[in-house]
Amino acid sequence: MGMRLLPSVFSLAMLWAVGGCKPKAAQTADRSEILIGSTLPLTGSEARIGGFFKEGYELAFDEIAKQGGLDVGGKKLPVKLMLNDDTSNQATAVNLADKLINSDKVDFLLGTYSTALVEAQSTVAEQNKVPYVNGGGAASEIYKRGYKYIFGALSPVELLGTTLMDWIDEQQKAGALPRPAKIALLWENTAHGKDFRKGISDFAAKNAGGYEIVVDESFELNGKDFSALLGKVKAAGVDLFLADAHLPDYITLHRQYVDARLCHKVVSYGARGSEKSAIEALGIENVSYVLSGVWWSAQLADTLPLAKKFVEAFKAKYAGRTPEWFQALGYEAARALFTAITQAGSLDREAVRAKLAVLKMESLLPGGTLEFPADKGGEVQNLFVVQQNLPDGKAPIIFPKSVAKAVGVAPNPRCAQ
Amino acid sequence: MTARPPALFSRRASIGFLAVCAVLAVLPVALDLSAYVHNQLTFLFITIAGALAWNWMGGFVGQVSFGHAAMFGLGAFVAGRLMLSFHLPPPLCWLGGAVVAGVLALGAHPLLRLRGPYFSIATIGVGEAARVVFTYWEKFTGGSSGLSLPIDGDLKYQLYWWALVLAAAVAAASVAIRRSSLGLKLLAIKADVDAAADVGISATFYQDLIFVLSGAVVALSGGLYASFLSFIEPADMFGFDRSISFVLTAVIGGVGTALGPVLGAVVFVIVKTYLLASHPDLHLGLYGLLLIGVILFEPLGLTGLFRRVMRGIRRAPGTAGQVKS
Amino acid sequence: MDRLLDMALSAVLLAGLYATMAYGLGLIYGVLRVVNLAHGGVIMGGAYLGWYLHDRLGIDPYLSIPIVLVASFIVGVVMYQGLVRRLPRGPSGGPASLLLLFGVWLVLRNIAYLVFTGDDRTIRTAYSSSSVEIASSHVSVNRLVVLGLAVVIAVTLHLLLRRTQTGRAIRAVAQNADSCTLVGIDVNRIYTLTFGIGSALAGVAGVLLATLFSFSPNSGSSELLKSFVVVVLGGLGSVFGVAVAALIVATAEVFAILVLPAYLTTAVGFILLVLVLVLRPGGLFGTRVLS
Repeated sequence: MGMRLLPSVFSLAMLWAVGGCKPKAAQTADRSEILIGSTLPLTGSEARIGGFFKEGYELAFDEIAKQGGLDVGGKKLPVKLMLNDDTSNQATAVNLADKLINSDKVDFLLGTYSTALVEAQSTVAEQNKVPYVNGGGAASEIYKRGYKYIFGALSPVELLGTTLMDWIDEQQKAGALPRPAKIALLWENTAHGKDFRKGISDFAAKNAGGYEIVVDESFELNGKDFSALLGKVKAAGVDLFLADAHLPDYITLHRQYVDARLCHKVVSYGARGSEKSAIEALGIENVSYVLSGVWWSAQLADTLPLAKKFVEAFKAKYAGRTPEWFQALGYEAARALFTAITQAGSLDREAVRAKLAVLKMESLLPGGTLEFPADKGGEVQNLFVVQQNLPDGKAPIIFPKSVAKAVGVAPNPRCAQ
Repeated sequence: MTARPPALFSRRASIGFLAVCAVLAVLPVALDLSAYVHNQLTFLFITIAGALAWNWMGGFVGQVSFGHAAMFGLGAFVAGRLMLSFHLPPPLCWLGGAVVAGVLALGAHPLLRLRGPYFSIATIGVGEAARVVFTYWEKFTGGSSGLSLPIDGDLKYQLYWWALVLAAAVAAASVAIRRSSLGLKLLAIKADVDAAADVGISATFYQDLIFVLSGAVVALSGGLYASFLSFIEPADMFGFDRSISFVLTAVIGGVGTALGPVLGAVVFVIVKTYLLASHPDLHLGLYGLLLIGVILFEPLGLTGLFRRVMRGIRRAPGTAGQVKS
Repeated sequence: MDRLLDMALSAVLLAGLYATMAYGLGLIYGVLRVVNLAHGGVIMGGAYLGWYLHDRLGIDPYLSIPIVLVASFIVGVVMYQGLVRRLPRGPSGGPASLLLLFGVWLVLRNIAYLVFTGDDRTIRTAYSSSSVEIASSHVSVNRLVVLGLAVVIAVTLHLLLRRTQTGRAIRAVAQNADSCTLVGIDVNRIYTLTFGIGSALAGVAGVLLATLFSFSPNSGSSELLKSFVVVVLGGLGSVFGVAVAALIVATAEVFAILVLPAYLTTAVGFILLVLVLVLRPGGLFGTRVLS
């Protein structure tokens, strides 16, 4: 009997020996650097986007390094990023956040990517009262929990739906779309998809008589066969096809959409649309006139000075590549944190948190300003920009007018064929 | 002359076991553990409890379940719902989860007639169906948004002891079952169901019993896990990967042994924690290789390996080949 | 009426897909009584190989099928000789084979991650978006090819098993391996061959899937589970049983949308699986030997 326990005791003893001792906390009085912890999905299913966020973070940290450090109460302190890989797994994101806070003793946290991971990880930050700024969690659920230490630079996906509908409404008022317009609303069954659906349905509800949602269906991620669903859409005879999907499902669903020779006056896949990989997979002629709403586009460089600065700096650092919203949001989240630290003049978490709560800074985000409104739980409410794919391969911003580069086309000219 | 059946726990073993528990109980305070290690150990205890409970089905009875995430997730969401909607104290919520899961495990009765791989495949089906249904059932699980439980720093700290008690209880129960007549009956069922029936062992009754117990305990561990994370969502809790983690921990540790899964859970958590930091892209392959190694070379996993080593040591000159197992 | 016709057509096409995925699993289980949990991994591997050949060497995916066939066959042979052969046969070996092959799948996944990263891939050719009109429905060319291949494979397998010496040996081994050694059949060779063919079929399914959908190292689980449903439903051993079962599953899933929300139709397959196992474990076509 003792034999059986031996392995267990032995292994537990090992664990204790390896991990047990509590590291000494650095004296806060004379700190030589600021430690900012973060996890990102650098491997796993979201690795591609995780890598993009990393680029954004690193650019922001580089800029501070070039300045000689971050100004904290008159002293310039270097900022160090402690980045771990959470492999797109929730429990790992939580455990690593715990480690960063309690073992590595970081001062603040920058968030990870994807709603579920941010939602799980932010509980650790809140529990330990560590300011947590993220550009990767868009679902408004995250910010409805009454947390005080969580700040989101990513606008809620509901606003994506609303912005899309705003443009569609303009077209309808101009007579380009029928009134009432029938909508097929297909959304992936995730927090992202649910928010998108809410944005669209709330708008339709408020706009009595203008829109009728006749198909409202969710689908599983990584679906294989959408024929039944598309058959339902076909049978319903809708005018507007509004879907929310992530990349693989966008490709699969749209392929089958095109195969079935479907065509609607307005087609959108939420945040998807102009990705290069999608154009490669589907062919430019098939994605023409598809609308997408994004949190940020490099085209904003023409109208927002900070956006221009960011794009130039990014191109300089990353071999001429044009950044997308992932890098911009990562960069901006880090910058927001830095600004708050400088404004607070100290590394005290409460002071920085207080500054984040009332932060109002010039930004590269649409609208030009960034603030974390308390009544929205600390999530920014900047508008999205709507892009439309054109047959020549470009995807200009068509809405809002202040930053638009082209006039959007509706109804979809392809359907006339 | 009637012989007395051997006591379930030898005196030495009981004292040893209680000593280990006592040490673990005072560890956080005695060593002034950082919150991180404290939480990792909590996570470890929860994993141990789940792995041991899975092993009752997978190891003792021999019915390998690839769908235990259904029980785990159910326990977590029932507990979470009870906390959010009725504000019951957490231990009550966890028990609630265990009860519901236990009752539903009875519903799986028809599956228990299946043998070997058929049973395993059926559990995959049940696990996946559960995931889809519960992700759709928004009122209960919050759908893909999941449930966010109120933050309770004190609870998370105390969770260490709750989890320790659970793990210790399940470990003791594992040994008790194994060494009792119940364990013998289960072994008989595992070896040959028909022969067992011939000597009067009702396979259906005992399999039902173990399935209910296994499901209830795994659900209990799910409830604690929910309190640990403070945020649960169906895709993660009911996922196939979650079901697989039960299988991995038990098999790597030693499926069918009484306490093998404890070792498996320790390895699993250590690999996750330490390997993840340095070589995150290798952990899948590592688990795979461990699994292959265990199946091919040491069916009793790390426990078997350990026993071999101990036997080798004992065969050192002088020992009269007295092998305890 | 039009819509129902559309749906029926979709069901047939989907069945072709499911059948193609399931043949390999069914063959291996029918003969070796081993549940090949690495099936999904081999499908994923085939997809990557097809993608690689198309992306780097410009080989059309349909033309690359022979290459993928051979490569997957070799992988299957290696898996059998290196690993599966060492397992004890029979009911006690059941869980062991499950776990072993699952371990192999994990390793395959990791290799794919390391070599190709976790990004989603797909194969796009000039005719990827072409469709033909069939009875007022439009059907993708790729899907027709998959359906065609499903039929071809079914017929070929059937002929192989019935008309050739090797096929007869395979059926004999499936029926009673021990007696076969008595009559001089090299059981080991037959097992190796079967595992190889099963893997080859899985690899080909992978290439075909790559022309239709996106895939990543994580792919394979849904294909594996679907294949289970089809194989279990079709019952052990019947090639045409697999084909018919695929049709039944596909039809159930497609027509389920008339009564269920689209999201829940994904559960239909699993519920069918559990129902069949509980009510008629021998499958709809009984526990017949390979035919």
